[in-house]
Amino acid sequence: MSGSHLSREFFALVKAIGESKSKQEEDRIILGEIQTLKKALSNPPSADKASTSGASSKKKAKEFLIRLMYVEMLGHDGSFGYIKAVELAAAQSIVHKRVGYLACGACLSPDHEFRFMLINRLQRDLASENILDVCAALAAVVRLITTDMVATVVNDVTKLLSHQSDLVRKKAIIALHRLHQLDQANISAEDLTGHLRRILCDRDPSVMGASLCVIEKMTIKNPAPFKDLVPSLVSILKQVIEHRLPSDFDYHRIPAPWLQMKLVRILSLVGKGDKSSSEGMYAILADTIKRADTGINAGFAIVYEVVKAVTIIYPNTTLLDVAAEAISRFMSSNNHNLKYLGVTGLAMIVKDHPRYAAAHQLAVVECLDDPDETLQRKTLELLFSMCNPVNVEFIADKLLSFLKDTNDDFLRRDLTQKIVTISERYAPNQQWYISTIITLFSIPGAGELVSPSIAQNLMSLLAEGGGDDDEEEDNAMRAAAVETFVNLLDEPQMPPVLLQTLAWSLGEYAFLLDGIDLAEIVENLCTLARRPVIDDQSRRYLVTAVFKLVSQLGTYPPCAARLVDDFTTSRDPILQQSCNEFQALITSNVQLLTSVFPVDASCEDVGADSGLSIAQAYVDAALARGMNPYSPPPDGGSDSEADEGGEASKPVFNMTPYERPDTKPLQAQQAALNPSFSTSTESSVSGEGASG
Amino acid sequence: TFLFPVDIMPLRFCLMVNKQGQTRLASYYEWMPIAERTALESEIIRKCLSRSELQCSFVEHRGYKVIYRRYASLFFIVGVDTVEENELGILEFIHALVETLDKYFESVCELDIMFNLEKAHFILDEMVMNGCIIETNK
Repeated sequence: MSGSHLSREFFALVKAIGESKSKQEEDRIILGEIQTLKKALSNPPSADKASTSGASSKKKAKEFLIRLMYVEMLGHDGSFGYIKAVELAAAQSIVHKRVGYLACGACLSPDHEFRFMLINRLQRDLASENILDVCAALAAVVRLITTDMVATVVNDVTKLLSHQSDLVRKKAIIALHRLHQLDQANISAEDLTGHLRRILCDRDPSVMGASLCVIEKMTIKNPAPFKDLVPSLVSILKQVIEHRLPSDFDYHRIPAPWLQMKLVRILSLVGKGDKSSSEGMYAILADTIKRADTGINAGFAIVYEVVKAVTIIYPNTTLLDVAAEAISRFMSSNNHNLKYLGVTGLAMIVKDHPRYAAAHQLAVVECLDDPDETLQRKTLELLFSMCNPVNVEFIADKLLSFLKDTNDDFLRRDLTQKIVTISERYAPNQQWYISTIITLFSIPGAGELVSPSIAQNLMSLLAEGGGDDDEEEDNAMRAAAVETFVNLLDEPQMPPVLLQTLAWSLGEYAFLLDGIDLAEIVENLCTLARRPVIDDQSRRYLVTAVFKLVSQLGTYPPCAARLVDDFTTSRDPILQQSCNEFQALITSNVQLLTSVFPVDASCEDVGADSGLSIAQAYVDAALARGMNPYSPPPDGGSDSEADEGGEASKPVFNMTPYERPDTKPLQAQQAALNPSFSTSTESSVSGEGASG
Repeated sequence: TFLFPVDIMPLRFCLMVNKQGQTRLASYYEWMPIAERTALESEIIRKCLSRSELQCSFVEHRGYKVIYRRYASLFFIVGVDTVEENELGILEFIHALVETLDKYFESVCELDIMFNLEKAHFILDEMVMNGCIIETNK
């Protein structure tokens, strides 16, 4: 059966692709194929046979397009052939038409102008007598219509909702939903909902099933319009599980499992947070989960869907117990897929009902150590849901270790966020929080993902202390933080957020750590500051820290002196400025150092003397010498208050037109230069004098 | 990258890839340029190949959830949105798809798909429309 209906060339192509051993070989074959196809395009089949040429050229066209799809599927551009796809969609024969539409749908990008060429064709097909044409067009509508094309087909599609063929009705509702997704103006949510309610009662279960897909999506966006459907949905679900659908809907003896899942899903969305709606569904959910327990995957999928639903809707203890029991069985199964569902389901339950977590602690830890990466990730999610002040240290630890090992950006982002959240919510004490956050900063790849506000929080925490005014305890906390930072000083790679926190903390509180040699710290900081890869902001922090430490030390280590000196010519103007200032301070006014860099005073308000009282003596001396006192300019800046007094009551703009200019001298000049120049240009020269 | 408003679409793509990483069928329910598709396909097949029989059939990749199942030399792969899809339901859908292809081609094999690419697409398109599973009735 396989290849006999294909032309020799096509057969050879497929065979070659199938047998190719390497990507290069495959590429070679495809490039060759592209050449062949391009040639075929420019040499259309000869039109000698009168009646059959149409058929055979269409056949060739169909094959051409399938080969084109191969070309694109294997990664090469086939745009030279797109026009053929558009042409073939206009064919009479349904087989050819479908291939044309298929190729268009697969190859034409949303902004490709060929899409517009299909509109006429689609409209004709949608109105065709032939059901198959209509179906092909509806499928094409979903793939090819863009927002600005919606208006052209929306009416045709809407009409098809009442077509006599169930195949058509089924596709029409999906197509209509697609149009709604693209353009709410042409088909609003209310209109669509109205149609859906009718189609839900369609006599054909497939059509009804298609409407469920759409209802599910719309319920996710807004459940309110569907709340009154609960009784209908319950009744439909009842009929399905009681085997009252035609038997060809059965899948391995389970009646329409995907329909069951969809119905349960919709019910869960409607019942969420809604007590009365939820009460209407407890019975059917219990029944569904019982009947679905058949020992095969499709059954388990239904069970899982019900478990999810039970955790989402208004809680009912009996159902929750049933769900927890099902989860138990999933988790203890040997089948990894079921374990995965168990872990996911457990995560959903414990979010609102933590008591169910206790029974599964051991199983959860086992899953965490399982070599299956997917299972591990799901277990991490579960842990996050289960977090509380008692187990937060263990859980944060696990999350951090996974963060260290992963290379996946999505996972990194996710884990970083989770760690920050649980640390802030459940930290047992300040010290733990600080050390966890610092660890987080220092994990390569993660430090960059943490928002700078976290760093600010950390520094505030260190500066303000624990809040219960226990200076000793606060200092112990700061010392611990400093110790952690000191251990990081040799780290090759540190993200800015870490460098800045480190620099600030060491500058402020390094002295608190017993046995520390401040001079050594200064040296380390100098080395750090010289690293070429760090960003400007971090370097400034580091240099400021050096300043502070120098002030605390009371001596000016040579490495620091060299650093400051070098940076007075830094590219970074702020750094330059501060280094220059520091040098000035240290050479001429060393005694000011300690007041410029007070110890542990980051929380004190900086008092600014806006009256500049220090300058008063100077001013007094000048006045005594007979200089004029300063007189501030009159307050004429604001234009909201109208001019005081009656002056300037005249409008600012000159409203009278200017006088017409006297053009006679100009004309005389022009006439002198060019005697044939007529004077009738006078009217075009002068115009109305513009005002203002 | 996606020029359409990406709404809630259960299925994002459906692929059939063999163990050498050659794509035999690719159906995308949202537009993706060719280069991106081939990159995605090769990354996913690599991930699937690196997993053993004992591990579960679900994998997360770049913000998609990927459900796969291997039948002889061919991997059937479906990508869904990470938001709350029923993975086992999708897995069973893949099985239903294979059963349907089996029935049509009388014990389907990779070569059948290759020689009848358009027919395989048509069958798939009867079952999935706009990323929704609309038909599983034999």
